[in-house]
Amino acid sequence: MKDSARKRRCGPPAGWILLAVLAALCLPAAPAAQDCRFCHDEPLYRFDFNRSIHAGNGCTSCHTGITNIENHRDGKEKPAPVNCGSCHEKIAKEYLNNFHYIQEDFRCSDCHRNIHAIRKDPDKNVKLAIINKCTECHGNADYTASGHGEAILKGNHDAADCADCHGLHSTQVFHTSLEQYPAEAREFYTQKCKRCHADSVMMARNNLSDRMVAYYEGTYHGKVQELGYPAPVAGCGDCHTKHNILPKEDPRSSIHPDNLEANCGRCHSGFHPRFLSYQSHPDYTDRQKYPALYATFLFMGALLVGTLAFFWFHTILWWRKVYWEHHRMEKEGIVPPSVVATGEGLQQVERFSVKYRVMHVLLVLSFFTLVLTGFPLKYAGTEWAQTLTRLWGGAHMSGLFHRGAAFVLIVGMIYVTWESLTFLFPKGEGGKGWLKRLLGPDSLFPNLKDLQDLKGMFLWFFNRGEAPKFDRWTYWEKFDFLAVFWGMFAIGGSGILLWKPEWSSWLVPGWVLNIAALVHSEEALLAALFIFTIHFFNTHFIPNKFPMDRLIFTGTYRLEELKEQRPLEYERLVAEGRLESLKREHPGIPLKLISATFGLGSLLLGLMLTVLILWSLLFA
Amino acid sequence: MAALSRKNLIRLIVNAALILVAGLAACGKPAEPPPPWKVVDAPTLRAMMADDRDLPVYNTMSEIECLDHRIPGTKCLACEEIEKDVAVLPADKNRVIVFYCESAGCYRSCRAAGAAVKAGYTQVHVLDGGMPAWKQAGYSMETVERIPRGSIPSVRAPALKQMIAEQKDLLLVDLRSEQSYKEGHIEGAANHPLYRLSRDYAAIPLDRTLVLIDDRGFRTFLAGSYLEMKGYRVMRLFGGMQAWQEMQAAK
Repeated sequence: MKDSARKRRCGPPAGWILLAVLAALCLPAAPAAQDCRFCHDEPLYRFDFNRSIHAGNGCTSCHTGITNIENHRDGKEKPAPVNCGSCHEKIAKEYLNNFHYIQEDFRCSDCHRNIHAIRKDPDKNVKLAIINKCTECHGNADYTASGHGEAILKGNHDAADCADCHGLHSTQVFHTSLEQYPAEAREFYTQKCKRCHADSVMMARNNLSDRMVAYYEGTYHGKVQELGYPAPVAGCGDCHTKHNILPKEDPRSSIHPDNLEANCGRCHSGFHPRFLSYQSHPDYTDRQKYPALYATFLFMGALLVGTLAFFWFHTILWWRKVYWEHHRMEKEGIVPPSVVATGEGLQQVERFSVKYRVMHVLLVLSFFTLVLTGFPLKYAGTEWAQTLTRLWGGAHMSGLFHRGAAFVLIVGMIYVTWESLTFLFPKGEGGKGWLKRLLGPDSLFPNLKDLQDLKGMFLWFFNRGEAPKFDRWTYWEKFDFLAVFWGMFAIGGSGILLWKPEWSSWLVPGWVLNIAALVHSEEALLAALFIFTIHFFNTHFIPNKFPMDRLIFTGTYRLEELKEQRPLEYERLVAEGRLESLKREHPGIPLKLISATFGLGSLLLGLMLTVLILWSLLFA
Repeated sequence: MAALSRKNLIRLIVNAALILVAGLAACGKPAEPPPPWKVVDAPTLRAMMADDRDLPVYNTMSEIECLDHRIPGTKCLACEEIEKDVAVLPADKNRVIVFYCESAGCYRSCRAAGAAVKAGYTQVHVLDGGMPAWKQAGYSMETVERIPRGSIPSVRAPALKQMIAEQKDLLLVDLRSEQSYKEGHIEGAANHPLYRLSRDYAAIPLDRTLVLIDDRGFRTFLAGSYLEMKGYRVMRLFGGMQAWQEMQAAK
């Protein structure tokens, strides 16, 4: 019936067609539209289309390719496929990578089904419309029961709909069967979560904290992810699940206390239940919620600021004094005796035996490895950190090197402890006289004289007296030595706990791991800055040693230098008749060259790292 | 040991170093023999097709999928058909032939290419990245018989397991090849391979809701739309057999 009606109407006199063709030639769009609707006369085209958003376009704007209307009417000529992209260019470009197009060859009208009647409705709840559209196929019970879904159904316009996470025309799919999963998926979706959850205005509107993202980024999970290695660590969706995102008070939530063991257990295994008290988004500055963390944060901050402030002050004063003194001597033509030593004064005397020189080289190598592998994690967001980690061969390799270097350092530390004990309790003497040896001139333990020397140095800095006379070890050398010991307790202890956190949970609760992470990171900062600024200056950059003192690598210096720098030790050696046994040959060229290359290289590397660390600390 | 001269010692050290370097290089990337066919990218294939209008380019998916959308001017020939009998390919074994597949992670084109190489074809090519690469290059597609996209609900493996346990009135339809089906399938599933579904679908009863199962969940949507068009009520297993097996393995 419909067909015969159409035939009747569409079988017009030739004049009509002529008119149509003429009209099409003169005014292409609108008259053509009228002509189309002469046959295509359903209410959809005659009525709804006129009120639709595309009403301004004629039929032939989209349905192109009809050159002869008679042929078309006779079914001999069909319009070309509609190309929405000729107007919607940006969307069409995005859509080229859309999973629905790539995999299932969806075309625009497969989702925009009522394209001829589509209208702009300012009151339309777009989020709800998106959910309705997607769930036609993706019947995701999880999502509709989630916090986001529920909020949208209640009219919230901030909560994430499907497209907020998956994209609308740029829908990507990270299929579990593909190689890119889970690394790319985790990175992609975590960024999506962050985009809203770090938006302070949006979060404030919804009574949520915008700091959660920053707190997560401060943890190991967040840092490794930020460094560019999301595969081995938890992103947002790993703990909060993909769709079933609910507050932790809700028993259905993956982060509800009853579900935590299973939740963490999806990645971690072999942990004690108290592992679960680890905080994934800790706020160090929240005194009420995390008192222990807050106290640690304060303590570490004070230690860092206090130590650096004191020694930087000490260093500046020292440099001032030496520089002014140098200037005076230069002006007056005075040359220090150690520089123009002759005869006996040129004799090389051993200060460090081969064993201690090797130990120092090992310390330097392991320390640099630890800094070069650890700090990229601390400042994961910076370009240099990401480049450095790539050079190591990725986060995993970097971690292996970090642990390897830590192992070397720990073995060294155990050896030094053993050495210290045999120094205090030598064979045959037993416990007798250990206190005397502990506080004696050959010991690295601070004593009363160090306090006097410190005072003496400050008086000297301010031109109020002569520089103190030192014995074998100065107070700053003792501090360097003991700082490594303290550092090893703080960094080494926390590092061992963090090495295998699941095993550590059999020893300490999970929240201690938060503290360990904080201590490890802050103490590392202190150690690096201390070594690269204070130790470097005290030992190498001080004007009379600049640019470096090779003593720790060649092991010997001139007798005149011994007399000048350690007068009390010199007197002791002479009195005890030990000087003769310490006399050595002048170091050979190969040793000097190797020492200079290694020493200067280390100094330069340290200074470069200091710049990167300070820059990251202040600006990143 | 005493017989080890200085020259031999040097030779030994050099050899040891070479072996170490070679070993390290081998660790870096596992050596993989190159495939016995040539891989071409989308622009190259386009140029080849422009040069040779009769170039045999084969879409190795099922007929349903191929007729729905394919690279213009290409032929539909499911890889299972080629594996069964290479006589469907051109008689001239030195003719350039090209195979392509639905997705980058799909191996049908390679299986077809493997069968062709084995049969003695010397100029076998495979489109790198498959149809997605063609689409992403912005080239057009051709439709012969477009299947209207339906609203095919998907069901996840655990939910399906529960539905089976509750003895819902379902028919599990395994769309994978006969071989894959033989190697393992969900209990009670009937095998209707997708590559000949357009010929055989009528054998599937109409009285129950179908649950379509494929390898990875990529192909059931279009097959579902096709069957819906033919009057069936259809659901699909999200993630396919892989998701099902992962669920089973996790238990």
